[in-house]
Amino acid sequence: MDRMSGQPEFAVELMMKRRSFLQQSAALASLSFAGFPSAWGQGQAGKTRLLVVLLRGGMDGLTAVPPVGDAQYNTIRPQIAVQNTLRLTADFGLHPKLEAMHSMWQAGQLAVVHSTGFQYTGRSHFEGQDIMQTGVMKPYASSSGWIGRAMEQAKIDSGVAISIPMPLILRGHDKATTQFPNWMPTLRDQDLNAVVNMWSADPALSPYSEVIREANLGKAQGNMNNQSFQDARSMRGLARTAAASMRLESGPQVGLIDMTHGFDTHASQGAEQGSHADKLRDLDQLMATFRTEMGEQWANTVVLTITEFGRTAAENGTNGTDHGVGSCCFLAGGLVTQAKVYSDWQGLAKSALFEERDLPTTIDVSAVYAKVLERVFGLSAKTLVSSGVLEHKASSALNGLLGV
Amino acid sequence: MNSSLVSKFTRRVAFGVPGDKALPDDPVAWANAQLAVLPPMDILESDGTRRKDLPADMRLLWEMDDVMHAFEQHQRAERLSFEKAKELSTEDYQEYRERNIFTPFSRLEHWKEVQARETTALYGQAPVFERFWHFWTNHFMVAPGNQNNDTLVGPYQRSLRPFMLGNFREMLWHAVTHPGMLVYLDNNRNTGPNSKAARQKWTKDSINENLGRELLELFTLSPKAGYTQKDVEGATLILTGWRDMKPDKWHKGQKLGTHFDFDRHEPGSQEVLGKKYTAYFRPSGKLEDLVTDLAQHPATAEHLATKLCVYFLDDAPPAAAIASVKAAFISSQGDLPTVHRAVIQACWTHIESTRKFVSPETWLLQVLTLTGTEPPRNIPLTKGTPGLKTPFLLGDLGQELPRCPQPNGWPIRSTDWISKEMLDRRLRVLGVLAEASRRGGKGQQTMRRIVAVSQRDVASGDPTAQLLLKPEVQADTRLAWIACLASPSLLWS
Repeated sequence: MDRMSGQPEFAVELMMKRRSFLQQSAALASLSFAGFPSAWGQGQAGKTRLLVVLLRGGMDGLTAVPPVGDAQYNTIRPQIAVQNTLRLTADFGLHPKLEAMHSMWQAGQLAVVHSTGFQYTGRSHFEGQDIMQTGVMKPYASSSGWIGRAMEQAKIDSGVAISIPMPLILRGHDKATTQFPNWMPTLRDQDLNAVVNMWSADPALSPYSEVIREANLGKAQGNMNNQSFQDARSMRGLARTAAASMRLESGPQVGLIDMTHGFDTHASQGAEQGSHADKLRDLDQLMATFRTEMGEQWANTVVLTITEFGRTAAENGTNGTDHGVGSCCFLAGGLVTQAKVYSDWQGLAKSALFEERDLPTTIDVSAVYAKVLERVFGLSAKTLVSSGVLEHKASSALNGLLGV
Repeated sequence: MNSSLVSKFTRRVAFGVPGDKALPDDPVAWANAQLAVLPPMDILESDGTRRKDLPADMRLLWEMDDVMHAFEQHQRAERLSFEKAKELSTEDYQEYRERNIFTPFSRLEHWKEVQARETTALYGQAPVFERFWHFWTNHFMVAPGNQNNDTLVGPYQRSLRPFMLGNFREMLWHAVTHPGMLVYLDNNRNTGPNSKAARQKWTKDSINENLGRELLELFTLSPKAGYTQKDVEGATLILTGWRDMKPDKWHKGQKLGTHFDFDRHEPGSQEVLGKKYTAYFRPSGKLEDLVTDLAQHPATAEHLATKLCVYFLDDAPPAAAIASVKAAFISSQGDLPTVHRAVIQACWTHIESTRKFVSPETWLLQVLTLTGTEPPRNIPLTKGTPGLKTPFLLGDLGQELPRCPQPNGWPIRSTDWISKEMLDRRLRVLGVLAEASRRGGKGQQTMRRIVAVSQRDVASGDPTAQLLLKPEVQADTRLAWIACLASPSLLWS
């Protein structure tokens, strides 16, 4: 494992332990072969993990998870309705680019919540991306994020955003950190020593000198070449980076990957192929890579997708869709208990749409996030509300999601 | 006078003074003199002349007609590409877009503007003016967004410059009614529900609060003023019909740029903060009156004074500093040179007790200024152009200009620019610049400046000044750069 050379010593020790655990679990798996059963995580004392994927721009839920059983679907989307979907249920299919996610479905490790969104209906990217991160339905009203607050409440020791700035959603927790593929040569011992020496008396900088040392130690000195840099910045690469620390027993319990702005498909969004399909392929590659790289810790993990809003139900005049309200939300990983589409589907008839135009929000997506926080951090819905972590409107349609 | 304090001041109100040049004797007068005239702007060489090795058709557009023609060309290219989408394979289509849209209207367009912004800050006549201009472009943010507005961004930002010599009310009016802003915040779609266009169903557009809300929230009052959703709605209705005018076949002979479309304007009166705005015989006068009232509102003075002091002095600026800037704003009725001078004075008065951890852009400009290093010159003529490019170097530091993610601008608080990844990147960028300077044969000359900076600019208690005297540190270019420029004295200003 050449990767080990990049780890600080204490992590190496833990990885040795993990390796023997891996052997044990491989033996167990061979007894009941069906991949890792989805119930694997629950019986384990292993630390639960959460990877959040921000899908900025407003994902079109009707392209990602087409309601194939709804007769209106093809009618209102003559150019962009997705055909040849991968089967989920009689009513819903999965976009054909989401192959790896379909295999997760077949393994009982993918759940979908459909026609879900925020109580906010302003259709602004900026406001929407603010509230999806703060969890506060008034735009720009909070300087901390709902995951940061939850981590603080649950006393979670660390989280990592695969990002250069600290994203709003993780703020409010001082142990959360940031990391992003970087082509620039690492610092040498003498550089790091100078930094530690200079920053030690500065209260704002001193907390960072040691983590920067850790991030730089033992890494290759040379420039990352252009190809490997581009690969590292791809969704696959970011998933690798996230998993490399999250799979460690001492690693962060929360990770975040930011897919910026690609989902804003006002025009020529395509169907099986096209710009929206390309973004879904990226998401699928991210999920597939993360599953592989997490190894047996996948069993203790849930991946959650978050988008600021959905899009208009019908296609617009330019073979795309405009800003709307409801969308769908994916949950993947070993902590998913059942392959299921959670939905209170109202149909796509004009009268059933929000303001006769958008897929409506029939399930408050904050309630989905609350379930995630309950499962991963052990914070009850009641605590989330009373401690100001996350307001949400419970929905019976979510009963059983993640087994909580 | 303590040279490290003067140096701190020159970095705070500008980008510092090169290590081999003298600090000003009278710092406040030095700064004020740079705020009195409008400095020219272009892509400059280090001697202050216009750069000559640029592509023949590359120039900054200043005339509104030229700007709107460029905007229309971009829109037309986008429309054409939708047609192409039907006939080309995905791969060919992507290459087509790369060549015909992304390269000319995005990558090169933004490179040109960023290179002009940074080289003018470094080699122009008035770095203090540039620093304040950076503040105002951040306050009235327009960034590339989703209406293919790329070619409007730079011209809009540069058009704010002359207004820095006038009154805030005029700058506010200019910013809010500039096509760059009207497009960026969707006001070109903001249409009165009872307007003629809506009643006769000429358009499906209706009200869009994007600009109305930001006018109150970001540009003038701030939410602290306690306005309500009703006020946002009132401002939004007053803004209906204010659009951009591009050259097109239906509007031959129309003046390009800002256009007030009476047919989309909501008739009647509207209310904001309890005051009624009525058209009488001049419907566009409603917005003029609203802008005047907002510019003069005490909450605006409070908001701007606080923001200026947070930007220039400290995340928690002294109350006296805010009070002095606010007083200057109110007593001069928003005369911006007066306000800027008050900020300069506050910076000097409170120089010892306050500190800022500046944005990556400002920090990079400080590093380049102090060491006498040029920003990367490479022009990204194609996607694969090798070497460092200025906007992407800023991106590596976490601030890829001009792609500001939100209309509230880049963060202005120190805490927003301190994360493990951001600090690590500043250190590594120093290594990259040091290496480039060494390879470019300028290592010795630069080292002399760095040693001078470490003696002149670094506070006496900082271990850095001693470190740089060691021959083994001076012999190691990368280490010397880091030991000097990553010292707390220079990371803060």
